[in-house]
Amino acid sequence: MLKVQAKRKLPGFDLDVDFSINQEILAILGSSGSGKTMTLQCIAGLLHPDEGHIELNGRVLFDSAAGVNLTPRMRKVGFVFQNYALFPHLTVYENIAYGIHHLSKPEISERINGLLEKMNIQRLGKRYPRQLSSGQQQRVALARALAPEPELLLLDEPFSALDTVRKERLELELMSLQQFYKGNMLFVTHDLAQGYKLSSKIAIYDSGRIIQYDSKQKVISSPANRIVARLTGVRNLFKGIIVEVKENYAQVMLPELDEKVTVELKGPLNPIQNQIVLIGIRPEYVHLSDNPVENTFKCVADRMVEGVSSAEFFFYMQGKTDSKHRIEAALSRSDGERICIGQEYYLHMHPEHFIIIRD
Amino acid sequence: MTEAYLSPLWISLRTVLTATIITFFIGIAAARWMSRYTGRLKNVIDGLFILPLVLPPTAVGLGLLLFFGRNGPMGQFLAIFGVNIVFSWPATVISAAIMSFPLMYMAARGAMEQVDVNIENAARTLGASEWRLFWSVTMPLAWPGIAAGTVLALARSLGEFGATLMLAGNIPGKTATIPVAIYFAIQQGNTNEALILSGIVVVIAFASLFAIAYWKGRTSITRTILQEREGLD
Repeated sequence: MLKVQAKRKLPGFDLDVDFSINQEILAILGSSGSGKTMTLQCIAGLLHPDEGHIELNGRVLFDSAAGVNLTPRMRKVGFVFQNYALFPHLTVYENIAYGIHHLSKPEISERINGLLEKMNIQRLGKRYPRQLSSGQQQRVALARALAPEPELLLLDEPFSALDTVRKERLELELMSLQQFYKGNMLFVTHDLAQGYKLSSKIAIYDSGRIIQYDSKQKVISSPANRIVARLTGVRNLFKGIIVEVKENYAQVMLPELDEKVTVELKGPLNPIQNQIVLIGIRPEYVHLSDNPVENTFKCVADRMVEGVSSAEFFFYMQGKTDSKHRIEAALSRSDGERICIGQEYYLHMHPEHFIIIRD
Repeated sequence: MTEAYLSPLWISLRTVLTATIITFFIGIAAARWMSRYTGRLKNVIDGLFILPLVLPPTAVGLGLLLFFGRNGPMGQFLAIFGVNIVFSWPATVISAAIMSFPLMYMAARGAMEQVDVNIENAARTLGASEWRLFWSVTMPLAWPGIAAGTVLALARSLGEFGATLMLAGNIPGKTATIPVAIYFAIQQGNTNEALILSGIVVVIAFASLFAIAYWKGRTSITRTILQEREGLD
Protein backbone atom coordinates (compact mmCIF):
# COMPACT_ATOMS: atom_id res chain seq x y z
CA MET A 1 0.00 0.00 0.00
CA LEU A 2 1.45 3.31 -1.06
CA LYS A 3 -0.14 6.58 -0.03
CA VAL A 4 1.15 9.79 -1.52
CA GLN A 5 0.10 13.28 -0.71
CA ALA A 6 2.57 15.91 -1.75
CA LYS A 7 2.72 19.63 -2.41
CA ARG A 8 5.70 21.47 -3.77
CA LYS A 9 6.00 25.04 -4.98
CA LEU A 10 7.76 25.48 -8.29
CA PRO A 11 8.51 28.46 -10.51
CA GLY A 12 6.12 27.46 -13.29
CA PHE A 13 3.42 25.57 -11.43
CA ASP A 14 2.72 23.90 -8.11
CA LEU A 15 2.87 20.17 -7.68
CA ASP A 16 -0.15 19.05 -5.69
CA VAL A 17 -0.98 15.36 -5.87
CA ASP A 18 -2.84 12.87 -3.73
CA PHE A 19 -3.26 9.19 -4.59
CA SER A 20 -2.78 5.71 -3.25
CA ILE A 21 -2.19 2.28 -4.75
CA ASN A 22 -2.46 -1.17 -3.26
CA GLN A 23 -0.19 -3.87 -4.72
CA GLU A 24 -0.85 -2.72 -8.24
CA ILE A 25 0.76 -0.96 -11.13
CA LEU A 26 0.10 2.70 -11.68
CA ALA A 27 1.06 4.57 -14.82
CA ILE A 28 1.51 8.30 -14.51
CA LEU A 29 0.75 9.85 -17.84
CA GLY A 30 1.18 13.47 -18.83
CA SER A 31 3.02 15.86 -21.07
CA SER A 32 6.63 16.67 -20.24
CA GLY A 33 7.10 19.13 -17.43
CA SER A 34 3.87 18.23 -15.67
CA GLY A 35 5.57 17.00 -12.51
CA LYS A 36 5.61 13.26 -13.21
CA THR A 37 9.28 12.63 -12.53
CA MET A 38 9.18 14.96 -9.58
CA THR A 39 6.50 12.82 -8.00
CA LEU A 40 8.76 9.78 -8.27
CA GLN A 41 11.65 11.76 -6.79
CA CYS A 42 9.49 12.83 -3.85
CA ILE A 43 8.52 9.22 -3.17
CA ALA A 44 12.13 8.03 -3.39
CA GLY A 45 13.30 10.83 -1.12
CA LEU A 46 15.48 12.52 -3.72
CA LEU A 47 13.34 15.64 -3.43
CA HIS A 48 11.32 16.91 -0.51
CA PRO A 49 7.76 18.06 -0.87
CA ASP A 50 7.07 21.35 0.91
CA GLU A 51 4.11 19.70 2.52
CA GLY A 52 2.58 16.26 2.56
CA HIS A 53 2.55 12.69 3.77
CA ILE A 54 4.04 9.65 2.07
CA GLU A 55 3.46 6.20 3.47
CA LEU A 56 4.57 2.80 2.20
CA ASN A 57 3.15 -0.43 3.68
CA GLY A 58 2.41 1.33 6.95
CA ARG A 59 5.85 2.98 7.22
CA VAL A 60 5.80 6.77 7.14
CA LEU A 61 8.47 7.89 4.67
CA PHE A 62 7.68 11.57 4.81
CA ASP A 63 5.42 13.71 6.90
CA SER A 64 5.84 17.44 6.98
CA ALA A 65 3.60 17.91 10.01
CA ALA A 66 5.36 15.26 12.11
CA GLY A 67 8.79 16.25 10.78
CA VAL A 68 9.45 12.78 9.37
CA ASN A 69 11.74 12.60 6.36
CA LEU A 70 13.52 9.31 5.77
CA THR A 71 16.66 9.45 3.65
CA PRO A 72 16.47 7.64 0.31
CA ARG A 73 18.50 4.75 1.69
CA MET A 74 15.99 4.09 4.46
CA ARG A 75 12.98 4.02 2.17
CA LYS A 76 13.29 0.61 0.46
CA VAL A 77 12.18 2.10 -2.82
CA GLY A 78 13.75 0.92 -6.07
CA PHE A 79 14.28 3.53 -8.77
CA VAL A 80 14.99 2.90 -12.44
CA PHE A 81 16.23 6.13 -13.97
CA GLN A 82 15.38 7.33 -17.43
CA ASN A 83 19.02 7.23 -18.54
CA TYR A 84 19.54 4.02 -16.48
CA ALA A 85 22.24 5.74 -14.38
CA LEU A 86 24.38 2.62 -14.17
CA PHE A 87 27.73 2.98 -12.44
CA PRO A 88 30.09 3.22 -15.42
CA HIS A 89 33.17 2.16 -13.42
CA LEU A 90 31.59 -1.05 -12.12
CA THR A 91 30.80 -4.28 -13.93
CA VAL A 92 27.25 -5.48 -14.40
CA TYR A 93 27.74 -7.86 -11.47
CA GLU A 94 29.13 -5.09 -9.25
CA ASN A 95 26.35 -2.75 -10.32
CA ILE A 96 23.69 -5.21 -9.21
CA ALA A 97 25.61 -6.06 -6.04
CA TYR A 98 25.84 -2.40 -5.02
CA GLY A 99 22.55 -2.39 -3.13
CA ILE A 100 23.06 -5.72 -1.35
CA HIS A 101 26.68 -5.49 -0.16
CA HIS A 102 25.55 -6.13 3.41
CA LEU A 103 24.64 -9.73 2.52
CA SER A 104 27.11 -12.60 2.64
CA LYS A 105 29.07 -13.46 -0.49
CA PRO A 106 27.12 -16.65 -1.35
CA GLU A 107 23.81 -14.84 -0.82
CA ILE A 108 24.91 -11.99 -3.06
CA SER A 109 25.98 -14.26 -5.89
CA GLU A 110 22.87 -16.39 -5.56
CA ARG A 111 20.59 -13.38 -5.79
CA ILE A 112 22.49 -11.79 -8.64
CA ASN A 113 22.59 -14.97 -10.66
CA GLY A 114 18.85 -15.34 -10.17
CA LEU A 115 18.27 -11.80 -11.39
CA LEU A 116 20.64 -12.15 -14.34
CA GLU A 117 18.73 -15.23 -15.36
CA LYS A 118 15.32 -13.58 -15.00
CA MET A 119 16.52 -10.64 -17.04
CA ASN A 120 18.06 -12.96 -19.58
CA ILE A 121 21.52 -11.42 -19.28
CA GLN A 122 23.42 -14.29 -17.64
CA ARG A 123 26.50 -13.82 -19.79
CA LEU A 124 26.97 -10.12 -19.20
CA GLY A 125 28.06 -10.16 -15.55
CA LYS A 126 31.68 -9.21 -16.26
CA ARG A 127 30.96 -6.46 -18.77
CA TYR A 128 30.96 -2.75 -18.13
CA PRO A 129 27.87 -0.67 -18.87
CA ARG A 130 29.36 1.03 -21.93
CA GLN A 131 29.87 -2.38 -23.54
CA LEU A 132 26.13 -3.06 -23.43
CA SER A 133 23.35 -2.15 -25.80
CA SER A 134 20.71 0.17 -24.39
CA GLY A 135 18.29 -2.74 -24.03
CA GLN A 136 20.82 -4.66 -21.97
CA GLN A 137 21.55 -1.55 -19.89
CA GLN A 138 17.86 -1.24 -19.17
CA ARG A 139 17.76 -4.85 -17.96
CA VAL A 140 20.76 -4.28 -15.71
CA ALA A 141 19.15 -1.14 -14.29
CA LEU A 142 16.02 -3.13 -13.55
CA ALA A 143 17.97 -5.98 -11.97
CA ARG A 144 19.98 -3.52 -9.87
CA ALA A 145 16.83 -1.84 -8.60
CA LEU A 146 15.20 -5.19 -7.77
CA ALA A 147 18.22 -6.72 -6.02
CA PRO A 148 17.58 -5.18 -2.58
CA GLU A 149 13.96 -6.41 -2.85
CA PRO A 150 12.33 -2.99 -2.58
CA GLU A 151 8.77 -2.62 -1.40
CA LEU A 152 8.04 -0.25 -4.25
CA LEU A 153 9.53 0.02 -7.71
CA LEU A 154 9.60 3.35 -9.51
CA LEU A 155 10.37 3.55 -13.21
CA ASP A 156 10.99 6.85 -14.94
CA GLU A 157 10.09 6.65 -18.63
CA PRO A 158 11.11 3.02 -18.98
CA PHE A 159 12.31 1.96 -22.40
CA SER A 160 11.93 5.45 -23.86
CA ALA A 161 15.40 5.24 -25.39
CA LEU A 162 14.83 1.88 -27.08
CA ASP A 163 13.75 0.99 -30.58
CA THR A 164 10.28 -0.47 -31.11
CA VAL A 165 11.27 -4.13 -31.23
CA ARG A 166 13.39 -4.00 -28.09
CA LYS A 167 10.81 -1.86 -26.36
CA GLU A 168 8.00 -4.31 -27.01
CA ARG A 169 10.12 -7.25 -25.90
CA LEU A 170 11.06 -5.50 -22.66
CA GLU A 171 7.49 -4.48 -22.05
CA LEU A 172 6.50 -8.12 -22.27
CA GLU A 173 9.27 -9.01 -19.84
CA LEU A 174 8.21 -6.31 -17.44
CA MET A 175 4.71 -7.74 -17.53
CA SER A 176 6.00 -11.19 -16.64
CA LEU A 177 8.10 -9.57 -13.93
CA GLN A 178 4.93 -8.69 -12.09
CA GLN A 179 4.54 -12.36 -11.33
CA PHE A 180 7.64 -12.53 -9.19
CA TYR A 181 7.75 -8.95 -8.05
CA LYS A 182 4.85 -8.65 -5.69
CA GLY A 183 5.31 -5.07 -4.60
CA ASN A 184 3.80 -1.87 -5.87
CA MET A 185 5.00 -0.51 -9.15
CA LEU A 186 4.71 3.04 -10.38
CA PHE A 187 5.96 4.28 -13.67
CA VAL A 188 6.02 7.52 -15.57
CA THR A 189 5.40 7.66 -19.28
CA HIS A 190 4.16 9.93 -21.99
CA ASP A 191 3.25 6.96 -24.14
CA LEU A 192 -0.42 6.11 -23.73
CA ALA A 193 -0.13 2.72 -25.41
CA GLN A 194 2.66 1.72 -23.03
CA GLY A 195 0.82 3.04 -20.00
CA TYR A 196 -2.26 1.09 -20.98
CA LYS A 197 -0.37 -2.11 -21.69
CA LEU A 198 1.62 -2.25 -18.47
CA SER A 199 -0.60 -0.76 -15.80
CA SER A 200 -3.86 -1.45 -14.06
CA LYS A 201 -4.49 2.16 -13.09
CA ILE A 202 -3.64 5.41 -14.81
CA ALA A 203 -3.15 8.85 -13.30
CA ILE A 204 -3.27 11.72 -15.76
CA TYR A 205 -1.11 14.70 -14.86
CA ASP A 206 -1.51 18.25 -15.99
CA SER A 207 0.61 21.12 -14.59
CA GLY A 208 1.37 19.30 -11.36
CA ARG A 209 -2.15 18.08 -10.68
CA ILE A 210 -3.89 14.77 -11.20
CA ILE A 211 -6.83 15.50 -13.45
CA GLN A 212 -8.02 11.93 -13.61
CA TYR A 213 -7.16 8.85 -11.57
CA ASP A 214 -8.99 5.70 -12.55
CA SER A 215 -8.66 2.18 -13.83
CA LYS A 216 -7.09 2.24 -17.27
CA GLN A 217 -10.32 1.15 -18.96
CA LYS A 218 -12.21 3.98 -17.30
CA VAL A 219 -9.66 6.59 -18.35
CA ILE A 220 -10.02 5.52 -21.95
CA SER A 221 -13.80 5.08 -22.00
CA SER A 222 -14.73 8.16 -20.05
CA PRO A 223 -12.09 10.88 -19.95
CA ALA A 224 -12.82 13.40 -17.22
CA ASN A 225 -12.19 16.47 -19.30
CA ARG A 226 -10.84 17.93 -22.51
CA ILE A 227 -7.17 17.56 -21.52
CA VAL A 228 -7.52 13.89 -20.64
CA ALA A 229 -9.42 13.31 -23.86
CA ARG A 230 -6.66 14.95 -25.88
CA LEU A 231 -3.89 13.07 -24.01
CA THR A 232 -5.61 9.75 -24.51
CA GLY A 233 -6.01 10.18 -28.24
CA VAL A 234 -9.53 11.54 -28.64
CA ARG A 235 -8.63 13.87 -31.47
CA ASN A 236 -12.11 14.83 -32.60
CA LEU A 237 -13.90 17.01 -30.07
CA PHE A 238 -17.05 19.01 -30.73
CA LYS A 239 -19.11 21.29 -28.61
CA GLY A 240 -22.66 19.98 -28.30
CA ILE A 241 -26.05 20.70 -26.75
CA ILE A 242 -28.23 17.82 -25.55
CA VAL A 243 -31.51 18.10 -27.40
CA GLU A 244 -33.24 14.99 -26.25
CA VAL A 245 -32.53 12.05 -23.98
CA LYS A 246 -34.31 8.79 -24.75
CA GLU A 247 -33.39 5.68 -22.80
CA ASN A 248 -29.73 5.02 -23.47
CA TYR A 249 -29.40 7.45 -26.33
CA ALA A 250 -29.13 11.18 -26.57
CA GLN A 251 -29.63 13.49 -29.48
CA VAL A 252 -26.85 16.05 -29.49
CA MET A 253 -26.87 19.21 -31.55
CA LEU A 254 -23.44 20.32 -32.75
CA PRO A 255 -23.91 24.06 -33.31
CA GLU A 256 -20.54 24.57 -34.97
CA LEU A 257 -21.35 22.00 -37.63
CA ASP A 258 -25.10 22.59 -37.68
CA GLU A 259 -25.62 18.83 -37.43
CA LYS A 260 -27.32 16.47 -35.06
CA VAL A 261 -25.83 13.18 -33.87
CA THR A 262 -27.09 10.28 -31.85
CA VAL A 263 -24.87 9.27 -28.98
CA GLU A 264 -25.11 6.17 -26.85
CA LEU A 265 -25.03 6.94 -23.12
CA LYS A 266 -22.77 4.88 -20.92
CA GLY A 267 -20.74 5.71 -17.90
CA PRO A 268 -21.60 7.90 -15.01
CA LEU A 269 -22.61 11.05 -16.81
CA ASN A 270 -26.38 11.49 -17.00
CA PRO A 271 -26.90 14.41 -19.31
CA ILE A 272 -30.07 16.41 -19.17
CA GLN A 273 -31.78 18.37 -21.87
CA ASN A 274 -30.13 21.64 -22.92
CA GLN A 275 -26.90 20.74 -21.13
CA ILE A 276 -23.78 21.86 -22.92
CA VAL A 277 -21.24 19.06 -23.30
CA LEU A 278 -18.21 18.07 -25.30
CA ILE A 279 -18.52 15.03 -27.45
CA GLY A 280 -15.50 13.28 -28.79
CA ILE A 281 -14.59 10.36 -30.98
CA ARG A 282 -11.27 8.68 -31.66
CA PRO A 283 -9.98 8.74 -35.24
CA GLU A 284 -10.07 4.95 -35.41
CA TYR A 285 -13.87 4.99 -34.97
CA VAL A 286 -14.52 7.33 -37.88
CA HIS A 287 -15.39 5.25 -40.96
CA LEU A 288 -16.23 5.79 -44.58
CA SER A 289 -19.83 5.34 -45.56
CA ASP A 290 -21.32 4.99 -49.02
CA ASN A 291 -24.56 6.77 -48.31
CA PRO A 292 -25.81 9.37 -45.84
CA VAL A 293 -27.30 7.33 -43.01
CA GLU A 294 -27.68 8.47 -39.40
CA ASN A 295 -24.59 10.05 -37.80
CA THR A 296 -23.01 10.68 -41.16
CA PHE A 297 -21.20 13.87 -42.14
CA LYS A 298 -20.32 15.04 -45.58
CA CYS A 299 -16.64 16.03 -45.55
CA VAL A 300 -13.88 16.97 -47.91
CA ALA A 301 -10.66 14.99 -47.81
CA ASP A 302 -7.90 17.44 -47.09
CA ARG A 303 -4.64 15.74 -46.19
CA MET A 304 -3.26 12.30 -45.60
CA VAL A 305 -0.52 11.04 -43.27
CA GLU A 306 0.38 7.50 -44.07
CA GLY A 307 1.05 5.14 -41.17
CA VAL A 308 2.21 1.55 -41.09
CA SER A 309 -1.07 -0.31 -40.84
CA SER A 310 -3.50 2.52 -41.36
CA ALA A 311 -3.53 6.05 -42.68
CA GLU A 312 -4.59 9.20 -40.88
CA PHE A 313 -6.84 11.37 -42.97
CA PHE A 314 -7.71 14.91 -42.21
CA PHE A 315 -11.13 15.88 -43.50
CA TYR A 316 -12.79 19.19 -43.15
CA MET A 317 -16.37 20.00 -42.88
CA GLN A 318 -17.94 23.25 -43.97
CA GLY A 319 -19.53 24.83 -40.91
CA LYS A 320 -22.51 27.13 -40.71
CA THR A 321 -20.44 30.24 -41.19
CA ASP A 322 -17.24 30.28 -43.17
CA SER A 323 -15.43 28.23 -40.56
CA LYS A 324 -13.99 24.86 -41.44
CA HIS A 325 -13.96 22.03 -38.94
CA ARG A 326 -11.37 19.37 -39.03
CA ILE A 327 -12.22 15.72 -38.52
CA GLU A 328 -9.48 13.12 -38.16
CA ALA A 329 -10.07 9.57 -39.32
CA ALA A 330 -7.72 6.59 -39.14
CA LEU A 331 -8.76 4.50 -42.11
CA SER A 332 -7.67 1.01 -43.03
CA ARG A 333 -5.40 0.68 -46.05
CA SER A 334 -8.17 -0.59 -48.30
CA ASP A 335 -10.48 2.29 -47.37
CA GLY A 336 -7.63 4.74 -47.58
CA GLU A 337 -6.87 3.78 -51.15
CA ARG A 338 -10.31 4.93 -52.22
CA ILE A 339 -9.75 8.46 -51.00
CA CYS A 340 -8.83 11.22 -53.40
CA ILE A 341 -7.73 14.48 -51.81
CA GLY A 342 -10.23 17.26 -52.53
CA GLN A 343 -13.22 14.93 -53.03
CA GLU A 344 -16.30 14.74 -50.81
CA TYR A 345 -17.04 11.65 -48.72
CA TYR A 346 -19.50 10.53 -46.08
CA LEU A 347 -17.99 9.85 -42.70
CA HIS A 348 -19.92 7.68 -40.33
CA MET A 349 -19.57 7.62 -36.55
CA HIS A 350 -21.35 4.91 -34.61
CA PRO A 351 -23.39 6.12 -31.58
CA GLU A 352 -21.62 3.72 -29.19
CA HIS A 353 -18.21 5.11 -29.99
CA PHE A 354 -18.88 8.65 -28.82
CA ILE A 355 -17.50 9.92 -25.56
CA ILE A 356 -19.41 12.56 -23.66
CA ILE A 357 -17.48 14.97 -21.48
CA ARG A 358 -18.98 17.54 -19.23
CA ASP A 359 -16.95 20.63 -19.96
CA MET B 1 79.63 22.05 -2.05
CA THR B 2 76.94 19.44 -2.64
CA GLU B 3 75.29 20.70 0.54
CA ALA B 4 74.33 23.85 -1.39
CA TYR B 5 72.25 21.75 -3.79
CA LEU B 6 71.08 18.87 -1.63
CA SER B 7 69.67 20.99 1.15
CA PRO B 8 67.27 23.06 -1.05
CA LEU B 9 66.37 19.89 -2.96
CA TRP B 10 65.52 18.03 0.21
CA ILE B 11 63.53 20.98 1.61
CA SER B 12 61.66 21.42 -1.66
CA LEU B 13 60.76 17.73 -1.93
CA ARG B 14 59.48 17.56 1.61
CA THR B 15 57.54 20.80 1.21
CA VAL B 16 55.98 19.86 -2.12
CA LEU B 17 54.97 16.42 -0.94
CA THR B 18 53.46 17.62 2.33
CA ALA B 19 51.72 20.59 0.72
CA THR B 20 50.25 18.44 -2.08
CA ILE B 21 48.87 15.88 0.37
CA ILE B 22 47.29 18.68 2.40
CA THR B 23 45.78 20.45 -0.64
CA PHE B 24 44.58 17.13 -2.05
CA PHE B 25 42.34 16.41 0.93
CA ILE B 26 41.36 19.99 1.80
CA GLY B 27 40.73 20.82 -1.87
CA ILE B 28 38.46 17.79 -2.32
CA ALA B 29 36.64 18.46 0.94
CA ALA B 30 36.12 22.12 0.02
CA ALA B 31 34.98 21.17 -3.49
CA ARG B 32 32.45 18.67 -2.21
CA TRP B 33 31.15 21.08 0.37
CA MET B 34 30.83 23.93 -2.14
CA SER B 35 29.13 21.81 -4.79
CA ARG B 36 26.32 21.18 -2.32
CA TYR B 37 26.28 24.51 -0.47
CA THR B 38 23.41 26.64 -1.69
CA GLY B 39 23.56 29.55 0.74
CA ARG B 40 23.73 33.21 -0.20
CA LEU B 41 27.47 33.42 0.41
CA LYS B 42 28.25 30.85 -2.27
CA ASN B 43 29.90 33.30 -4.64
CA VAL B 44 31.78 35.09 -1.87
CA ILE B 45 33.23 31.84 -0.50
CA ASP B 46 34.03 30.61 -3.97
CA GLY B 47 35.88 33.87 -4.62
CA LEU B 48 37.82 33.56 -1.38
CA PHE B 49 38.91 30.04 -2.28
CA ILE B 50 40.22 31.17 -5.64
CA LEU B 51 41.78 34.39 -4.37
CA PRO B 52 45.36 33.03 -3.92
CA LEU B 53 45.41 32.28 -7.63
CA VAL B 54 44.52 35.82 -8.60
CA LEU B 55 46.53 37.84 -6.06
CA PRO B 56 50.28 38.45 -6.39
CA PRO B 57 51.99 35.74 -4.29
CA THR B 58 53.80 38.40 -2.30
CA ALA B 59 50.44 39.92 -1.31
CA VAL B 60 49.22 36.51 -0.14
CA GLY B 61 52.53 36.09 1.70
CA LEU B 62 52.03 39.44 3.40
CA GLY B 63 48.55 38.38 4.45
CA LEU B 64 49.92 35.14 5.87
CA LEU B 65 52.66 37.03 7.66
CA LEU B 66 50.10 39.29 9.32
CA PHE B 67 47.92 36.28 10.20
CA PHE B 68 50.67 34.07 11.60
CA GLY B 69 52.89 36.91 12.85
CA ARG B 70 53.56 37.65 16.52
CA ASN B 71 50.65 40.10 16.66
CA GLY B 72 48.39 38.19 14.26
CA PRO B 73 45.38 36.21 15.51
CA MET B 74 46.83 32.82 14.58
CA GLY B 75 50.31 33.78 15.71
CA GLN B 76 49.03 34.74 19.16
CA PHE B 77 46.94 31.60 19.40
CA LEU B 78 49.85 29.33 18.46
CA ALA B 79 52.17 31.21 20.83
CA ILE B 80 50.12 29.74 23.70
CA PHE B 81 51.46 26.32 22.71
CA GLY B 82 54.93 27.73 22.10
CA VAL B 83 54.64 27.30 18.35
CA ASN B 84 56.00 29.86 15.95
CA ILE B 85 55.24 29.49 12.27
CA VAL B 86 57.00 32.47 10.73
CA PHE B 87 60.45 31.68 9.29
CA SER B 88 60.09 27.97 10.09
CA TRP B 89 59.85 24.94 7.78
CA PRO B 90 56.06 24.54 8.23
CA ALA B 91 55.78 28.07 6.79
CA THR B 92 57.02 26.77 3.43
CA VAL B 93 54.34 24.08 3.51
CA ILE B 94 51.60 26.54 4.45
CA SER B 95 52.62 28.95 1.67
CA ALA B 96 52.80 26.20 -0.95
CA ALA B 97 49.53 24.63 0.19
CA ILE B 98 47.65 27.92 0.16
CA MET B 99 49.03 28.95 -3.23
CA SER B 100 48.20 25.60 -4.84
CA PHE B 101 44.83 25.17 -3.14
CA PRO B 102 42.75 27.06 -5.79
CA LEU B 103 43.98 24.77 -8.57
CA MET B 104 43.09 21.62 -6.65
CA TYR B 105 39.79 23.08 -5.53
CA MET B 106 38.70 24.21 -9.00
CA ALA B 107 39.67 20.96 -10.70
CA ALA B 108 38.01 18.80 -8.04
CA ARG B 109 34.86 20.87 -8.01
CA GLY B 110 34.56 20.83 -11.79
CA ALA B 111 35.12 17.07 -11.84
CA MET B 112 32.56 16.38 -9.12
CA GLU B 113 29.92 18.58 -10.64
CA GLN B 114 30.36 16.66 -13.90
CA VAL B 115 29.25 13.45 -12.20
CA ASP B 116 25.68 12.64 -13.23
CA VAL B 117 23.34 13.44 -10.34
CA ASN B 118 21.19 10.48 -11.33
CA ILE B 119 24.10 8.11 -10.84
CA GLU B 120 24.61 9.48 -7.34
CA ASN B 121 20.88 9.31 -6.70
CA ALA B 122 20.84 5.72 -7.90
CA ALA B 123 23.43 4.89 -5.24
CA ARG B 124 21.27 6.61 -2.63
CA THR B 125 18.14 4.66 -3.55
CA LEU B 126 20.26 1.49 -3.37
CA GLY B 127 20.93 2.21 0.25
CA ALA B 128 24.34 3.88 0.12
CA SER B 129 25.28 6.30 2.89
CA GLU B 130 26.67 9.66 1.75
CA TRP B 131 30.13 8.45 2.85
CA ARG B 132 29.95 5.25 0.81
CA LEU B 133 28.44 7.13 -2.12
CA PHE B 134 31.36 9.57 -2.09
CA TRP B 135 34.10 6.94 -1.99
CA SER B 136 32.50 4.32 -4.21
CA VAL B 137 30.86 6.48 -6.87
CA THR B 138 31.68 10.20 -6.83
CA MET B 139 35.45 9.85 -6.32
CA PRO B 140 36.05 7.15 -8.95
CA LEU B 141 33.99 9.04 -11.50
CA ALA B 142 35.60 12.39 -10.73
CA TRP B 143 39.04 10.79 -10.59
CA PRO B 144 40.52 11.99 -13.92
CA GLY B 145 39.73 15.60 -13.02
CA ILE B 146 40.99 15.21 -9.49
CA ALA B 147 44.22 13.65 -10.72
CA ALA B 148 44.72 16.55 -13.11
CA GLY B 149 44.15 18.96 -10.24
CA THR B 150 46.72 17.12 -8.16
CA VAL B 151 49.32 17.49 -10.91
CA LEU B 152 48.62 21.20 -11.18
CA ALA B 153 48.77 21.65 -7.42
CA LEU B 154 52.06 19.77 -7.23
CA ALA B 155 53.55 21.87 -10.02
CA ARG B 156 52.38 25.06 -8.36
CA SER B 157 53.89 24.01 -5.02
CA LEU B 158 57.21 23.22 -6.63
CA GLY B 159 57.43 26.66 -8.20
CA GLU B 160 56.15 28.59 -5.20
CA PHE B 161 58.38 31.58 -4.43
CA GLY B 162 56.68 34.85 -3.45
CA ALA B 163 54.55 33.77 -0.51
CA THR B 164 57.25 31.40 0.72
CA LEU B 165 59.80 34.17 0.78
CA MET B 166 57.46 36.43 2.76
CA LEU B 167 56.39 33.87 5.34
CA ALA B 168 59.33 31.47 5.52
CA GLY B 169 62.19 33.67 4.45
CA ASN B 170 65.51 32.32 3.24
CA ILE B 171 67.13 30.33 5.98
CA PRO B 172 69.61 27.91 4.37
CA GLY B 173 69.02 24.37 5.49
CA LYS B 174 65.66 25.24 7.00
CA THR B 175 63.33 27.23 4.76
CA ALA B 176 65.34 27.82 1.57
CA THR B 177 63.43 25.87 -1.07
CA ILE B 178 64.89 25.55 -4.58
CA PRO B 179 63.10 28.61 -6.05
CA VAL B 180 64.20 30.75 -3.11
CA ALA B 181 67.75 29.35 -3.27
CA ILE B 182 67.97 30.14 -7.00
CA TYR B 183 67.00 33.75 -6.39
CA PHE B 184 69.57 34.23 -3.65
CA ALA B 185 72.28 32.44 -5.61
CA ILE B 186 71.81 34.92 -8.44
CA GLN B 187 71.81 37.84 -6.01
CA GLN B 188 75.13 36.67 -4.66
CA GLY B 189 76.50 36.20 -8.18
CA ASN B 190 76.60 32.37 -8.02
CA THR B 191 75.30 31.86 -11.55
CA ASN B 192 76.48 28.25 -11.69
CA GLU B 193 74.72 27.31 -8.49
CA ALA B 194 71.52 28.91 -9.79
CA LEU B 195 71.82 27.03 -13.08
CA ILE B 196 72.36 23.67 -11.39
CA LEU B 197 69.44 24.25 -9.04
CA SER B 198 67.27 25.15 -12.04
CA GLY B 199 68.39 21.95 -13.75
CA ILE B 200 67.38 19.96 -10.68
CA VAL B 201 63.91 21.55 -10.75
CA VAL B 202 63.51 20.59 -14.38
CA VAL B 203 64.41 16.98 -13.57
CA ILE B 204 62.05 16.82 -10.58
CA ALA B 205 59.23 18.41 -12.57
CA PHE B 206 59.57 15.89 -15.38
CA ALA B 207 59.96 12.96 -13.04
CA SER B 208 56.89 13.81 -11.02
CA LEU B 209 54.78 14.50 -14.11
CA PHE B 210 55.77 11.12 -15.54
CA ALA B 211 55.16 9.41 -12.23
CA ILE B 212 51.69 10.89 -12.01
CA ALA B 213 50.85 10.10 -15.61
CA TYR B 214 51.91 6.51 -14.92
CA TRP B 215 49.91 6.36 -11.71
CA LYS B 216 46.84 7.85 -13.39
CA GLY B 217 47.27 5.47 -16.30
CA ARG B 218 47.39 2.46 -14.00
CA THR B 219 44.12 3.48 -12.45
CA SER B 220 42.21 4.49 -15.54
CA ILE B 221 43.80 3.80 -18.90
CA THR B 222 44.97 0.24 -18.35
CA ARG B 223 41.71 -0.58 -16.70
CA THR B 224 39.92 0.63 -19.80
CA ILE B 225 42.09 -1.52 -22.02
CA LEU B 226 41.51 -4.58 -19.84
CA GLN B 227 37.80 -3.93 -19.95
CA GLU B 228 37.72 -3.63 -23.70
CA ARG B 229 39.63 -6.90 -24.01
CA GLU B 230 37.24 -8.68 -21.71
CA GLY B 231 34.36 -7.32 -23.67
CA LEU B 232 35.63 -8.89 -26.86
CA ASP B 233 35.46 -12.51 -25.82
